[in-house]
Amino acid sequence: MPGTREGTMAEERYVMGLFRDDTCAARVVRDLPAQGFKVVRVHSPVPSHGLLDALQIKPSPVGWLTLIGGIIGFFSGFALAIFTATRWDIMVSGKPIVAWVPFVIVGFEFTILFAVIGNVIGLLLMMKLPSFKGLKYYDPRCSGDHYGVLAACGDGQQQSLADFFQAQGGEVQVFTD
Amino acid sequence: MAENNATEIQAKSTAATIMAVLAICGVVTFLVCLWSDQPQRAWRAYLINFLLWSAMAQGGLLFSVVLQVTNARWGRGLRGVAEAFAAFFPISLLLFLVLFLGRDHIFPWLHMEDLHGKEVWLNVPFLFARDLAGLAFLYLFGMLYLLQSLKLKRICNNQAQRRDDLLQTRPGEIDAAAGTRRRMTTLGVLYIITYAFVLSLIGYDLVMSLDPHWISTLFGPYIFIKAFYLGIGGIIITAALLHLNAGHAFEVPSQEFHDMGKLFLAFCLVWADFFYVQLVVIWYGNIPEETVYVISRVGHAPWRTLAWAVFGVSFVLPFLVLINRRVKTMPRMMLALCGIVLIGLWLEHLLLVGPALDHGTARLNLGIPDLLITLGFCGLMGSAVSYMLKRYPELLISGEGRS
Repeated sequence: MPGTREGTMAEERYVMGLFRDDTCAARVVRDLPAQGFKVVRVHSPVPSHGLLDALQIKPSPVGWLTLIGGIIGFFSGFALAIFTATRWDIMVSGKPIVAWVPFVIVGFEFTILFAVIGNVIGLLLMMKLPSFKGLKYYDPRCSGDHYGVLAACGDGQQQSLADFFQAQGGEVQVFTD
Repeated sequence: MAENNATEIQAKSTAATIMAVLAICGVVTFLVCLWSDQPQRAWRAYLINFLLWSAMAQGGLLFSVVLQVTNARWGRGLRGVAEAFAAFFPISLLLFLVLFLGRDHIFPWLHMEDLHGKEVWLNVPFLFARDLAGLAFLYLFGMLYLLQSLKLKRICNNQAQRRDDLLQTRPGEIDAAAGTRRRMTTLGVLYIITYAFVLSLIGYDLVMSLDPHWISTLFGPYIFIKAFYLGIGGIIITAALLHLNAGHAFEVPSQEFHDMGKLFLAFCLVWADFFYVQLVVIWYGNIPEETVYVISRVGHAPWRTLAWAVFGVSFVLPFLVLINRRVKTMPRMMLALCGIVLIGLWLEHLLLVGPALDHGTARLNLGIPDLLITLGFCGLMGSAVSYMLKRYPELLISGEGRS
């Protein structure tokens, strides 16, 4: 789950706590602000409801983009069918040129197609993809079996943050730059 | 605690009384209509309600069966509610037998001169024999499935109790539970196959045959898909009522309401799709004897208005409302929505049956008697389900036991 609560200030130092289970990581995410630290980002190898709840992320707007895509698709499907039918207006077997009944199929398929495209665009926008830079503060263990909680603290506080992570049962990765 | 129990029992018995009163009202209205000057109308309402409520019971149980057969892990709390619908099966079978008395009023082909060779299929003895046999098989598999499910619940409850006593589960019991699950799956598969077959048959015989010159191969599937749509609606209504009833301990997590809402939306779409698939074939073929069925329902008053109302209420409304995520988690909203869809599907049955029974009528001929007969059937369904839930309270305990 990259890309949450990102934002950098000058003189901030970054420490990552790596946990083996998501309840631990979720507890740490909940407790960090009380300790005076800021949660920058959480990496999770698998989707976790516990972490999502702890992060209190606002509902994603991707659904709205899907809906808008679907609505646009519905009308463009009918529009395409009507447009092409009127370009070649020969009556076939007594059917009207603009026939609503079969056009529903085109409208329906376009609804789905555009909804999917809207969804994918929404995903790319929200996840800020494609990203070519790579993540600056990252530990490969997050792609294995660890939940990584990246937190920021003021200069000189790295040790207390690291201690806090260790007290919660995590391994610590201090980034020095 | 004792007070809570007392209010619970009271709430239950009030509901049961209301349902019983409704059922009696319905029976009385039906009999009065029958012996007054409108037996035709009484039988029309009877046929519509028989089809509607039987479909709800058959589709309701199907939900539990499908979850069992697909090894689903979700919806455990709602499976018991779905299984309670099987209590309507014996009633439905009896109601079907009563239909025999009204055969002169509900089968227009009995009064037709020439059926063009369809006499082989459309004759009273064969029709009632095959439909009765079909329903009997379907209900038999359903009831056997229910018995196994209750047995499994009992085994698991025993296990849970023993676990509280800090004793180990006996190996034999695990075998018993696994064997019961296996039998449930086998019976479930039989139920699903019979469901598709018998509901198609009922659709062809009791709905499509009313216009004996019209045929649509997909009509049977259309009927059984609609029954599943109805069944899911019925489960949501029952679950929401139980959930909102403060005197009752039963609760459905909002996540499960959400899932059911999604399934309801999905089958709303599938139902509309099956309608459309038939329509588009008839439209392209443009054969008069096929198109007349659609034209008489969509093109002419008074059915035209009804057709658009059904389309709006049973498809457009749930489709647009259920796109919203939050609505699906709100029991009150889902109760209202499913209630409206149920009314819409009642009218849809009227739309299928009505024009065939009253040729060239200028009015819908709907009124208080139809409403009372419908409420009577609703009362029968309600009594059956509430009896079942009272008799087997373990149905509402979601702890069926994880294997």
